[in-house]
Amino acid sequence: MNTPAVKCEDLRVVAGRHEILRLGQHRVDSGEMVALLGPNGAGKTTYLRCLLRMQSHVRGRVEVLGRDISALGSGGIAALRQRIGYVPQVLPSRTEMPLTVREVVAIGRTGVRGLLRRLGGRDWLLVDEWIERLGLSPLAGRGFGDISGGEQRKTLIARAMVQQPEMLLLDEPTANLDLGWRERIVEVIDELYRSMPLTVTLVCHELEVLPPCCGRVVVLERGGVVADGACEEVLTTELIEELYGPGLGVVSSAGRWIVAPGEAGRV
Amino acid sequence: MFDVAFWGSVLVGGLVAGASSGLLSVYIVGMRIPFIGICVAHAALAGAVYGALAGLDGPMLLLPALGGSVLTALALGLADPRKLNMDANVIMGLLFSVSMGLAFVGFGFFAVLGRPDHDVRALLWGSLMYARWTDVWLMAAAAVALGVFVLVFGKEMRAILFSRTDAQAAGIRATGVWTGFLILTAALMTVNFQTVGGLMIYSLITNPAAAAFQLVRGSGRAVALAMLFGAVSCLGGFVLSAITDIPSGALIVLLSAGIVGVAAAWRAVRRS
Repeated sequence: MNTPAVKCEDLRVVAGRHEILRLGQHRVDSGEMVALLGPNGAGKTTYLRCLLRMQSHVRGRVEVLGRDISALGSGGIAALRQRIGYVPQVLPSRTEMPLTVREVVAIGRTGVRGLLRRLGGRDWLLVDEWIERLGLSPLAGRGFGDISGGEQRKTLIARAMVQQPEMLLLDEPTANLDLGWRERIVEVIDELYRSMPLTVTLVCHELEVLPPCCGRVVVLERGGVVADGACEEVLTTELIEELYGPGLGVVSSAGRWIVAPGEAGRV
Repeated sequence: MFDVAFWGSVLVGGLVAGASSGLLSVYIVGMRIPFIGICVAHAALAGAVYGALAGLDGPMLLLPALGGSVLTALALGLADPRKLNMDANVIMGLLFSVSMGLAFVGFGFFAVLGRPDHDVRALLWGSLMYARWTDVWLMAAAAVALGVFVLVFGKEMRAILFSRTDAQAAGIRATGVWTGFLILTAALMTVNFQTVGGLMIYSLITNPAAAAFQLVRGSGRAVALAMLFGAVSCLGGFVLSAITDIPSGALIVLLSAGIVGVAAAWRAVRRS
């Protein structure tokens, strides 16, 4: 049996009188890729924030990369976060400071390097390697605010990867992107997962974003798990109709999934 | 005839104030918190008011003023906007109103006790034309402390400027570094208020960076250019003042704003 990268027991997040997330027994194995699906407000982002211990009002036990996060002090949680690459759903509001793409990627080395130590040659080499690997080299000297939304997403993925993380948390990495950029980002995620030992949790609400390498889907609705299993078992027309309304169906081809209306979606 | 004894401290003080405010401006504009100037000024005022009521006067009033501004900086740094669900500017608004309220309550006691309050009122409205070498050394020491801090924690500051929340998520000790920066900022501004004056500080913690950000990409270049613009604004303002007999503070402020205008126009022309 694989060691767990994430293990939750009776995890509950309560805001006021509302329970916004509840997971009885939940586990993600090391090296597994899990997609968290569900409509808006299902608790997907809350789940990621729990793993980073950035969510308040959390009850229950959460273990991440072998550490009980509630037992960690500020130094311990900082050290744990350095082992996790996080790509947030919302792009940082355009900072007034004209940081270059290379500088933004280098932020990923900042925590890992630690206080009072400057980034060294090896750090910058890693930064440049990831910039090149994600096809950002021509943009390296440009301002982060001057590039497109898709290029900014890639920059944030590069920033997460230079941390050399054991676990990658992607929160709707294709939000607000056009079809072309969506496909490029899905391709990047698929390639990353296949090329290195990495536990990936991908949050999305569109099936089209699931890369072919994704083996497991957890479906959330109103904070609770409604389905958990292999994509072929979970992604059925019945489930999609239950979540998003009648008249929708699921089509699968070459490891990719789409939701289509009417007869086109009937499988 | 150029009087070295008089102009020496004025010009060096202007250079130090301009360059250090230019450095500050990069982070203040970068974080979109120019209101910090007003916030720190009133916290320093509140500190000085109660220091004066406790019997301090003259240069000694700087100590309670520093106490007030540093306390405010500490509160601002430790208050995490994400956890409080409040923008940093709203938090500053709250701190400003509290410190201003405290200061005016204190002023009320001066009237009740029948004591003069002009020493306190003069604290925020100094003039470089009356700067002494001891003032300049104090300003230089505060500026050097800030410069060393930015050199040592430059990579963390860059991450915080990009996104404080993302920095925390990446395991960066954002709160500690940001609080340390704000404390040094408050100390530098308080020292400068009594020598340079509030009006100039408010301008110089915004305009140099606003101009630099129009022209260059990358944090290092932005810092260097903002420091240069700050220094040029101060020295240029003094030269123009000497030629025209117009008050130097006003000329420095207008010159720094003019540089922003020229930089914005230059960028617009280059883009077109």
